[in-house]
Amino acid sequence: MSEPDRTKLPIRRPSFGGVANRTLAGSEPDWNLIGHVEPPAGAPNVLLVLIDDAGFGNPATFGGPIATPNYTRIAEGGLKYNRFHVTALCSPTRAALLTGRNSHTVGVGSVGEFAGGFPGYSATLPRDCAPLPRILRDNGYSTAAFGKWHLTPDGQQGPAGPFDRWPTGWGFDYFYGFLGGGASQWDPCLAENQKIIGTEPEYYDKENPYYFPDAMAGKTIEWLHGVRAQDAHKPFFVYFSTGCSHAPHHVAKAWADKYKGKFDQGWDKLREETFARQKALGVIPADAELTPRNEAFPAWDDIPDKLKAFYARQMEVYAGYSENADHNVGRVIDAIDELGELDNTVIIWIWGDNGASMEGTITGSFNELTMQNGIPLTDEMQLQLSERYGGMEAWGGELMDPHYGAAWAWAGNTPFQWGKQVGSHLGGTRNPMVIHWPERATGAGGLRSQFTHVNDVAPTILDIAGIPIPSSVDGIDQEPMHGVTFAGTLTDPAAPERHTQQYFETVGNRAMYKDGWWLAMRTPRIPWVLTPQALKPYTPGVWDPDADPVELYYLPDDYSQAHDLAAKHPEKVAELKELFWAEAERYKVLPLLATLSTFFGMLPPLPEQARFEFRGDVQNVLSGMIPRIYNHSYAISADLVIPKGGAEGVIVAEADHLGGFSLFVADGKLTHTYSMMGVFIYRQQAEEPLPAGEVNVRMEFAADAPKPATGGEVTLFIDDRPVGKGRMDHTVPVRFSGYAGMDIGRDNGGVVDRSYEDKKPFPFTGTIKKVVFDVKPHLTDEDEQQLHAAAHHGDTAHALAE
Amino acid sequence: MKFDDETTDVLIGGYMSKQAAMQDYEAVLASGGYLHGAVVVSKDLNGNLSVEQTDHMVREGAAGLGAVGFAVGLFAPPLLAATAVGAVIGAGAGKLLHHRTASKLEEQAGATIPIGGAGLIVAFPHSAAAKVVPAVTRPIKKVVGEAEGHHVQALKGAIADAQQKMAESGA
Repeated sequence: MSEPDRTKLPIRRPSFGGVANRTLAGSEPDWNLIGHVEPPAGAPNVLLVLIDDAGFGNPATFGGPIATPNYTRIAEGGLKYNRFHVTALCSPTRAALLTGRNSHTVGVGSVGEFAGGFPGYSATLPRDCAPLPRILRDNGYSTAAFGKWHLTPDGQQGPAGPFDRWPTGWGFDYFYGFLGGGASQWDPCLAENQKIIGTEPEYYDKENPYYFPDAMAGKTIEWLHGVRAQDAHKPFFVYFSTGCSHAPHHVAKAWADKYKGKFDQGWDKLREETFARQKALGVIPADAELTPRNEAFPAWDDIPDKLKAFYARQMEVYAGYSENADHNVGRVIDAIDELGELDNTVIIWIWGDNGASMEGTITGSFNELTMQNGIPLTDEMQLQLSERYGGMEAWGGELMDPHYGAAWAWAGNTPFQWGKQVGSHLGGTRNPMVIHWPERATGAGGLRSQFTHVNDVAPTILDIAGIPIPSSVDGIDQEPMHGVTFAGTLTDPAAPERHTQQYFETVGNRAMYKDGWWLAMRTPRIPWVLTPQALKPYTPGVWDPDADPVELYYLPDDYSQAHDLAAKHPEKVAELKELFWAEAERYKVLPLLATLSTFFGMLPPLPEQARFEFRGDVQNVLSGMIPRIYNHSYAISADLVIPKGGAEGVIVAEADHLGGFSLFVADGKLTHTYSMMGVFIYRQQAEEPLPAGEVNVRMEFAADAPKPATGGEVTLFIDDRPVGKGRMDHTVPVRFSGYAGMDIGRDNGGVVDRSYEDKKPFPFTGTIKKVVFDVKPHLTDEDEQQLHAAAHHGDTAHALAE
Repeated sequence: MKFDDETTDVLIGGYMSKQAAMQDYEAVLASGGYLHGAVVVSKDLNGNLSVEQTDHMVREGAAGLGAVGFAVGLFAPPLLAATAVGAVIGAGAGKLLHHRTASKLEEQAGATIPIGGAGLIVAFPHSAAAKVVPAVTRPIKKVVGEAEGHHVQALKGAIADAQQKMAESGA
């Protein structure tokens, strides 16, 4: 059979080459009809691994303090890349990785949850940018994705889809993981293909508790075995995208305890130690310099002694969590090795998608969502709240959703400045990459220092597979890929640098790279601060981006961006500034700060739906899709049938004890528990038991005022008769959870009220006919509009932390 | 001229964890300062209340302190509205009343101490303040009230003063 035209996808089926007469007499079959597209001869398997929220200076392979034996063994058998670049934010890096294009061009200038009204920020993949998995699948690969996705808009993560924004819609035959930006590693609300499957049953096994990283590797291996059981030769493309090391930093205590005492020296000293190891390993140039600490980060010596152990534990857990990710990637690699296919599998392993995350703010948090909800807590408060949920030894366990302090992230990005969200500097844009391909790559253990970018990965994979970048997909002419292949570096350490120009933009922080020169244009805002005062300078009509301070670096001589040359080379500054604007226009970056547009009044239309009915056994409604009760008066009512002997269990529950609500029946009485992010927990209970038979129960919250985090009065009703009441002084202004779901008739995963922990998921033993949410409108349009704005400000803050 | 021993101080501390309150409670006991009494009330995540108290108040007799209730403001995050969650604490006199005192505490504090929160109340003569107050290092919020005398009325007055300060500080 002749080689098909692969430039137009899907590849056309071969026309019938046989003979079909009126009867079988004289007819000749054409067996090509029942075949399937074959990849080009010699096309290798591809394992693409992406670690989350990690920095250049984290893994030991690149001089960091975290043991990464599998990353090191793959590096020793392959190649290390020390000038590989990402976008400084989760979703944009993933979009660029999987499309080979600049993230803004494919609508992902910001994160997946945030679907804005400008082309670069719509979170919606244009049809003229067919992604890598689709191209590989259409060329005969088996494709699967495991782990974090983060490319589906918030409101499209349910059974109504649309599914072209889900992994299967991007070309993956199989998906097992979570759609959002982060997930509990103990009780994640998971998706499989096109269904939200929620928390796995193994979660309830106390002897062998579920742990997502283990399950993710297990599922990957199971899928590989299945593919090979069916087809011994079909190449696979596996995208293994860990939830680690994104918050919540969840790992078994034994993993964290391996690092006991390893961070007592603090982040300043840790940076120096990491830097020395990087030099010794040769992963950074001998003349590289360690950049100084920005005053946004506290000195370790200024941390009160009584809190140092608390801070050190945060990093111990992060390190154990990260080492566990290395372990589980190693399991997948071992499985490929056992199949006898390691030599012909290209492993591309990128350690971090945006540098390490500074979103834990200075203090770190027992519950990362406290920060996204704008609840300021001191480090002493954080410590006490962690004690409430088990103390430092339980940091990383099921009862907390922790994130470490920002200075640990800064240390994880050694030797660079800044980190995640700061697209102007290397701390947020340069991550380690290792490539392993024994069959073709040469110079095992070598270092490659060509400038490479995450949008180069897709064209490189296609290049080495012998698959052209398609010019047409589904009849739609395709935007060329913006990245370029670096396949030449696999065999030639001196291969010419092909990626010579690249813009960067994240939340207004931007950079322009060209031929070694890097112009950094950082908005002078602390990345984790989104207060009105901090945002005021960026008001439309006030902000002049060209007036932002600039820094100029020449990277061939200054690996870490330690020497600002802007004053010496004003002509280069001007040239790169102009080039940035041209690139920004070309790749749909404009308008700048579209990521924050909601803060400046650019809001989507007000939602019209105020009444939500749930009938039957609806479960695992993802956190971005629950009725928006925040900051409003609202009622939750349920039509129940109570058997003669009484009933117990959950009527409806959202999320868990670290933020959520549950309306349930305990001891025969209607009870409502509301967790304000685990900081304040309110409980109201009826003063009389529920009667048998058909009954309507209702919980009403009367907000004090139409304002974020409003307090208010709770009243419980049975058949319209008040039977209990209580007050909630503070309510959740933005979002209960980044990952836990809402369930009717039970409380899946971690429970909201710990008093029924032993009975979880505490299914309702009566009958629930329906549950109705009625979000009461406020009196004036102005109030409603203000709350709408506040909700979107919060969503943006949440999204930026994912 | 009154002596420090003739002024009663009451320190109220609010905490987000029982561990933090207990740590300060133990530090107070070890401070070497003379105490009229100290109480920790906390509520775990299941809503179960627990009370820890010294016998000092009982030992000293405290001249029939009886049931004295007051509210403890726990803390107030700056961006959110002020809160006034609290604990109602009582105290009884006489060794035989110790059990009843604890029961009374549980009964009265049960309705108002927040789930997961804790409060520490320490009563001491003003002369002991230099030892007692610095020992309390972990409260989210801490106030000290005072009143002249060292009997029931003084304790009530000091409690009222502390309450007032807690309220004024935004609790």
